[in-house]
Amino acid sequence: MTEPLFASCIRGARAVLALARDSLSDAIARRGPEGSLAYPGTAYEIPVVFGLTDLEVTTLRGAEPALSLAEGMIRDRPTAENALDAGAATLLCADILEALGHAEGRTYPAPCVGFVPDSVLRKLGIFMVDGSVPGVAVVVGRASDPAVAASMVRDFQEVGLLVFLAGDVVGQVEASGIKMGEDFRTFPLGPLPAVVHAVNFAVRAGLTFGGLGRGQAEPMLSYLATRVKAFVCALGPLDDLSLAIAAGAMKAGFPVLSDQAVPAIPGALLSCPPGEEMVRAGIEARGIKAKIVKVPVPIAFGPSYEGERIRKADTYAEFGGGRTVAYELVTSAPLSEVRDREIRVVGPDIPDLEKGGALPLGLVVTVAGARMQKDFESVLERRIHRIVNFGEGTMHVAQRDTTWIRISDEAVARGFRLADLGTMIHAKMLSDFENIVDRVAVTIHTREEDVRAGLAGARTVYAERDARARTLTDDAVGEFYSCTLCQSFAPNHVCIVTPERLGLCGAINWLDGKAGYEITPTGPNQPVPKGDERDPVKGAWEGVNAFVREHSRNTVPGFNLYSIMEAPMTSCGCFECILALVPEANGFMVVNREYAGAETPCGMGFSTLAGSVGGGVQTPGFMGVGKQYLLSRKFLAAEGGLPRIVWMTKEMKEQLGPALAKRAGEIGMPDLLDKIADETIAVTPERLREYLEKAGHPALSMKPLV
Amino acid sequence: MTVANPQQTFPGRIMEVTLPAGEGGRSVSVGGQTALPLLPEGERPNAAAIGIEIRTGDEDLPPSLSHAFGGKGTDPAVLAGNLVEESGAQFLFLSLAGCHPDLGGHAVSRGAGIVRDVLQAVPCPAIVGGCGEEETDALLFPAVAEAAQRPVFLSYADEKNYRLVAGAALAYGHGVVAWSPIDINMAKQANLLLGDIGVPPHRVLIDPLTGGLGYGLEYTYSIVERIRLAGLSGDAALARPILCHLGDSWKAREALDSAEESWGDVIARGRRWEEATAWACLAAGADLLVCRHPDNVRTLRGMVGAPWR
Repeated sequence: MTEPLFASCIRGARAVLALARDSLSDAIARRGPEGSLAYPGTAYEIPVVFGLTDLEVTTLRGAEPALSLAEGMIRDRPTAENALDAGAATLLCADILEALGHAEGRTYPAPCVGFVPDSVLRKLGIFMVDGSVPGVAVVVGRASDPAVAASMVRDFQEVGLLVFLAGDVVGQVEASGIKMGEDFRTFPLGPLPAVVHAVNFAVRAGLTFGGLGRGQAEPMLSYLATRVKAFVCALGPLDDLSLAIAAGAMKAGFPVLSDQAVPAIPGALLSCPPGEEMVRAGIEARGIKAKIVKVPVPIAFGPSYEGERIRKADTYAEFGGGRTVAYELVTSAPLSEVRDREIRVVGPDIPDLEKGGALPLGLVVTVAGARMQKDFESVLERRIHRIVNFGEGTMHVAQRDTTWIRISDEAVARGFRLADLGTMIHAKMLSDFENIVDRVAVTIHTREEDVRAGLAGARTVYAERDARARTLTDDAVGEFYSCTLCQSFAPNHVCIVTPERLGLCGAINWLDGKAGYEITPTGPNQPVPKGDERDPVKGAWEGVNAFVREHSRNTVPGFNLYSIMEAPMTSCGCFECILALVPEANGFMVVNREYAGAETPCGMGFSTLAGSVGGGVQTPGFMGVGKQYLLSRKFLAAEGGLPRIVWMTKEMKEQLGPALAKRAGEIGMPDLLDKIADETIAVTPERLREYLEKAGHPALSMKPLV
Repeated sequence: MTVANPQQTFPGRIMEVTLPAGEGGRSVSVGGQTALPLLPEGERPNAAAIGIEIRTGDEDLPPSLSHAFGGKGTDPAVLAGNLVEESGAQFLFLSLAGCHPDLGGHAVSRGAGIVRDVLQAVPCPAIVGGCGEEETDALLFPAVAEAAQRPVFLSYADEKNYRLVAGAALAYGHGVVAWSPIDINMAKQANLLLGDIGVPPHRVLIDPLTGGLGYGLEYTYSIVERIRLAGLSGDAALARPILCHLGDSWKAREALDSAEESWGDVIARGRRWEEATAWACLAAGADLLVCRHPDNVRTLRGMVGAPWR
């Protein structure tokens, strides 16, 4: 099936070679073998020859070895490899052929530009490096419907792609009135063979921006395939010549999309209807992501509005928060099932409401990405809170099926609609999770029956996630994650975040660390292989210690993850609460950041204690932790765990109450919480001891701590 | 009793970076050392380089600087030529502050034109700084990179714009000053990201943000030390020369305020404020200092020669 195709590529290559030979001998006959051969405005001679071979071509005679080399690359057997090599040979010949024309001042009639000089390449290349030109679309041939070709070019321009046109399509697009030229990043090159100027442009990008030199063929091909995100849209019937050029594009790693019935070669040649579908297919084939500079919503949007509260009197529309049924959900799906930027609102919208009205809400975000993992869904879902709060006039509270969104009068007056909510989420998910999310679609349901139906499904997902979280244990995973975000002020502090011990700030759990690493591989969250186990009870691993040593720059030799008395983890300064030894009670007290009092059994309030705990030092007996760590099975495992807690602020008791009671039940001490004192019971060690004895607190009969 | 030799040897070496000069100028090499500053051991092929800053735009000069610049010209090219020659600065730091909307709002083309003129007037190596306004700088860096007819360093690339600045540098063969806000991890990350894009390591300088005396200098001191220790200990991404830009010392009230008579003459005080900041940076390990006061360039140049090596 593909054999005739390959044969055709090879025939095409021979034809181009013959053409180049004729032109060259013609030129030599007229100008002599020493006649110069060069493009105007480039430092790279004949760029394709410069980039892929070590031949130096500056004269007509000098072009002969390059053509001989090309001839040697054309072999008759119709195999895929031979076709690709024939393609490469075609590019070499075509570049020489075009250079012959340019050297003799044969230019193409306007609007065609032919060779694009280095000066333009440099300017545009900056934006390719920058990402504001996210890719290159090469459109060649002749569209059966000129309007379709024009709309494709317009679509490419909208995404910010660099567009090259060659063949009859140039005239078709020009006739449709589409603006072309450097300012529009759209270059009509000339007739079909002029498409080689797109290739020599890409090759020069590798030479200028990729740090490559003459004749580094392999690195050049790899640069073209991975860094230059180009693809070819071939419109109309394909003859030998266009197939030979297409093979050259494929050799350079540029996928070719044809509107003809061609046999598919995965990743290289695709058959696809022209128009919107081909635009999408090309962009997706290269994983091109448009950079969203400004989120297109009618309200201001940014972190400065994050803290804004919308009071009832200023609220125009409300969703959830007890008034209506509401939920939010982020799920992932295969790339083929998610259409990026698809935002659907199903049911009544904000204008259908009176001021102060409420609607049910099912906010469903579907994401896809080659590096997306199911585990990241919850990480992304929690981000909805921040994203919605970024809007001026939009407020978000809580999560999952307790979500609550308010839209202010002012936002509605400016024209804010539910679809804008989707636009905000789409834009921020793509930019914040750039490395893991390639496509985002948002569906917003506001009909009660739809929301109820969706909610049932969402609850199943929540339950699955919770179940998964329970199976994520320190013993079950092979690596933990670091967090060195706070080294800016605690230079030697390294947080090790494990499934059962979240970051001491309470803001980063193991999954966040994992996602953080995927998003920014050079960032503060790095995988920490556990390495050999040194002490499973205290929580000591070779890998962890090695990492901590290196990243604390040799000031912390290592630590025990589950111990407070022996080599405890260091603390930056962000801890949610502090654990402190109360020797008289043979246990620990815990005081949270919000506790303003100075009165605790150890004689120090939170802020005084914080001074001795923070800054990246190891202080046995004292440690900053995240609140949720108290509920972990690994909590102070070396010292006996939760029964060591003898005192806790009333506020923390209330916050963690039900979860603590549950955990106490699991360890067979259902009444433990009642035995733990708080500031209303005791603020001196003597009173504390008295209470603990009366209550029969288990810590008193545990192994002495000191 | 024997006393152990406290001499420390490090496995790493700071990368040597050369700032190329124009025709008739002298290029400047920094870095290349294997030890901390102020110590007798190790190799130190290059002394710290001292440069001078010229700023465009409508800024009020501190009294001390307006005194020093008096009669030296207002046109950036003339002023730069005079100051570099008189002070003996080894490189010029040209800040296009005038392109900032609040400081003159020069068109990008005017900024680029100034760069062209100044580079023609002054043959010494040059670093060209943006105006600090994100949107303007996004247009300014590509224009400056194109206008500069010889290789310069672009200052600076930060977490937000590093791709653009790196692209502009690669397109025309310039270097990059990588800025981070007193954060060793971000300093490292910036260098890794620039390397990832393809900026060669010998064309990158670290700017760790320099606080003025009394206004955060101690943080800078600490971060410069830590970056240097990490680099010498073998962290290649941090084994790069460090540039300390002393501009912040001119924002201190102590450097500006002439009303406070008990503080002494503001002309001398301003200059000394920058000088004191500079000494601390040198002691911490800075490889390049950017001064604004020509007398400080002279003083520091005189001292970095022998004992500071």
